Amino acid sequence: MINHETELRLQAYLDGELSPGEAKAVEDFSNSDADARSLFEELKLTKSLLAENELEVRLPESRGFYWSKIQRQIEREEKGQASEQAETAATSWWLRFLAPAAALVALAVLVVVALRAPKGAEALVALDDSHEIETPLEETSSFSFQSEAAGMTVVWVDSHRE
Amino acid sequence: MSRKLDYPSAADDALVKAAQKADMQAFEELVARHRDKIYARAVSMMRNEEEAADLSQEAWVKAWQRLKQFQGEASFVTWMTRIIINLCLDQLRKQKRLRAESIEQLDEESGGVERQMPVVTPNPTERMERGELRQRIDEALGKLSCEHRTVLILHEFEELEYKEIAKRMQCSIGTVMSRLFYARRKIAALLAGWKREELR
Repeated sequence: MINHETELRLQAYLDGELSPGEAKAVEDFSNSDADARSLFEELKLTKSLLAENELEVRLPESRGFYWSKIQRQIEREEKGQASEQAETAATSWWLRFLAPAAALVALAVLVVVALRAPKGAEALVALDDSHEIETPLEETSSFSFQSEAAGMTVVWVDSHRE
Repeated sequence: MSRKLDYPSAADDALVKAAQKADMQAFEELVARHRDKIYARAVSMMRNEEEAADLSQEAWVKAWQRLKQFQGEASFVTWMTRIIINLCLDQLRKQKRLRAESIEQLDEESGGVERQMPVVTPNPTERMERGELRQRIDEALGKLSCEHRTVLILHEFEELEYKEIAKRMQCSIGTVMSRLFYARRKIAALLAGWKREELR
C-alpha cells in the first residue's frame, strides 16, 4: 500500500501542480507500481466525470421579477449612502467652522475671566482648609486673610487698584 | 454623437463599459445573461436554494457598486463568479459550516475512512445517461462535508489552483490537497456504491 504523501503527489501530478522534474519522478513511479497506477486512474476518472457533469440549475424567478429586486436594493443602498454622505458633510462643516469658533469663544472667556480676577489671588490658591480668605466685592481694593491655626488676621489693601 | 447600444446583441465588454457609466439597462442585460450561472454556483456551495437566491442577488448589487473596479483582466462572468464564491465562503464561515483547519484534518492525515476504500475500477458510470449522471454527481456532492465539497467545486468547476483555493479557504496548501484527495475518493466510492446497488 502506498503512503499518503505519495497519494497526494499522484494527485498533484494529475492536477498539473508539480514541477517537470517532480512530475517525471511521479510518472515513473506510477508506471512501475500497480497500486499507484490504479489509484491514479481512479482519481483521473473522478476528475473528468466532475469536470464534465456539473448539474445545470436555473433560477426559479422571472427576469423582470429578479431584476426588480436587485434594482430596489441598489436604489435603497444608494439612498442610504447619499444620506450618510450628507451627514458626513454636515459633520465636517461643523468641524471646520464651528469647532474653531467654539475654541475661540472659550479662549476669549478665559482671557476675560483672567483679566477680571483680583490680582494676587493666584498666590492664595495653595492655602488649606484651616485658612479663610475674605474677598469683598470686586469694586473694593482690599482682601483679608484669617488663619485660626496661626491666630492671625492680615488685611491687604491694594492702593494701585482704581 | 454616440450610437445607442443594442443591448440584447451587445457583447459583455460593451455592456460592462456602458454599465460603468451608470447605464442600468446595460447592467440588467448582464444580469439576465449570467444570473443562472451565478445562482447555480451559490446553490452548489450552499446546498440551499433560498439562501442561494439571496446571495446571488447580493452578488449583483455588490457588482454594480464595484463595477468601476472591474478592469477586464478576466471575463465579466469570471469576475462575477469570484464575487459569489467569496460571498458564499463568508456565509459558510458565519454559519460555522466551514472551518479553516479542522479536527477532521487530523483524522484525514492519520488515515480517514476513505483511505481504506478499495480503488474503484472500472468506470461505474458507464452506460449511465448524462442527465442521470449529473444528478448522481450532485447527490454525491451533497453527501460530502462542506469543506470537501467546497474544495472540489473550486478545483474541478472553477479550475482554481491549490494556492488560490488555500488563500480563499484560509487554510494551508497541504489541507487543500488532503481535502481534495478525500473528496475525490468519496465521490468515486459513492458512484461505485450506487452502481453495485443497481446491479443487485
